[in-house]
Amino acid sequence: MAGGELMRVVIDQELCIGGGICEMLEPEMFELDNDVVISSVVGDGLLPRERAEEVADRCPGRAIALVQEEI
Amino acid sequence: MRSTVDMTPAATVETPNVTDPSLYLRGIPHGCFAQLRAIDGLAWHPYEDGGFWAVTHHADVRFVSRNPELFSSAIGHTNLWDLEADALEARRSLIDTDAPDHTRLRRLVAGAFTPKNIRLWEETVRAITIDLLDEFVSQGGGDWVDMVAAPLPIQVILTMLGVPVEDADYLVELSNYLVEGTGDAQSIPPDAFGNTTELRLLPFNSPASHALFEYGEGMRQHRQDDLQDDLVSHLVQAQSEDEQMSRSEYRNMFHLLVFAGNETTRTAISHGAMALAASPGEWQRVLDDRSMINSAAEEILRWATPIMHMRRTVTTDTELAGTSIAKGDKVVMWYASANRDETVFEDPFRFDVSRANSDHFAFGGGGPHLCLGAFLARLELTVLLEEMAKRSLCLEQTSEPVRARSNFVHGVLSVGMQPRTSP
Ligand code: HEM
Repeated sequence: MAGGELMRVVIDQELCIGGGICEMLEPEMFELDNDVVISSVVGDGLLPRERAEEVADRCPGRAIALVQEEI
Repeated sequence: MRSTVDMTPAATVETPNVTDPSLYLRGIPHGCFAQLRAIDGLAWHPYEDGGFWAVTHHADVRFVSRNPELFSSAIGHTNLWDLEADALEARRSLIDTDAPDHTRLRRLVAGAFTPKNIRLWEETVRAITIDLLDEFVSQGGGDWVDMVAAPLPIQVILTMLGVPVEDADYLVELSNYLVEGTGDAQSIPPDAFGNTTELRLLPFNSPASHALFEYGEGMRQHRQDDLQDDLVSHLVQAQSEDEQMSRSEYRNMFHLLVFAGNETTRTAISHGAMALAASPGEWQRVLDDRSMINSAAEEILRWATPIMHMRRTVTTDTELAGTSIAKGDKVVMWYASANRDETVFEDPFRFDVSRANSDHFAFGGGGPHLCLGAFLARLELTVLLEEMAKRSLCLEQTSEPVRARSNFVHGVLSVGMQPRTSP
């Protein structure tokens, strides 16, 4: 957790299966659209590395990529 | 645990049999699964005149679930036994399809089950729950399955589908017969419910499936001229106007929603009650701190593992967990084992309402077939726990559970419970 490194989460909407796990884990950051049933990131998409990795790992569609943030 | 086992190649190790349905009358054979997990790689498990690769580690279940191109749901069947081509076609539902059919069918229903849309059902779920709990308490308890675990989910899914609540008992009865079909004993004759279809063409080989198909067909005809704001109308519209689903796909979807929407959640509620009765201290922790309700619900799901496995079929020669597997091989993901994987869950045989790791596979290991109803099931469980907590309702188990004779559903047919208002 050195320095609370942040990662940016990015959703590949082609891969998203609309499982809603990201919204369950981080309701403020992800929003699953009710019509197309695809998730998107709301806001800056920044999470501490460990949490970002967990959220990406839990994604059933393997649709969440992590991008290193330069601070 | 792994180090205590010698490194004989996986395929020749004497593997314990985990498919005999009668084993499950005494509960999940966790000892056998622990033996399978202790084998490095995959274990070959004989079954009927062939066999399957037993996938018992959490990480491997995840890999199989999330790589549908390698592990097909449409070939063979998603249950242990293979179906003949005509039977598979007649019985094929969402669960037994691959993309693009899967994507098309799933899109038709997915919108109704998003977290946000499911939250709109909270008051309905709560009203049903309150009625059932009030009755349970005023009767001084009884069969928990009959009084709470079965009626709650079926009333909810039937309300969503638009089925009249008066028919709930009939559909619960049908669902019970379907569960028998997952074991090796059917208590009803092949011509029950006026069935004339060959049993092998019916889901779970059960004449009750014929009855459920007929019921779904009746609703379809009803809704065709009189569309309502319910799920069946939505499906009927997709089926007739937009031609997005065939008649056979419609009836199998209806069948799947009724069965999956009630049997599994009922099982979670039954095992949940048994776990809370067996660990009054854990329930007291929830009563003292209601913020634990979500983690308690997840722990109940892990503990219960209502669906104990799903099967896939290998599409190309490949490797899994260091084991070579061939095109056409069956792989069976044992969620019952992954949910007790000691490398993932600390002290996995402890029921812990504040467990931080909720990465259980009660709803499958992810991938496109991830349980459609997961947020609905979670809503039902959390509302039930909230309403029990509001009443400070504690449960005492008054009889041994009668378990389903099945290696597929971890069903409880009955279990006596009695209310107590303080632990
Ligand atoms: C505690 C309750 C429940 C459990 C444990 C459960 C478990 C599962 C599992 C293990 C799968 C297969 C996942 C896979 O193959 O990767 C599944 C699929 C499914 N479940 Fe559930 N389920 C529950 C509740 C529900 C409810 C309430 C519904 C309501 C409609 C539902 C509808 C479905 C459907 C339609 C599928 C097939 C999805 C697909 O193939 O795309 N389930 N469920």
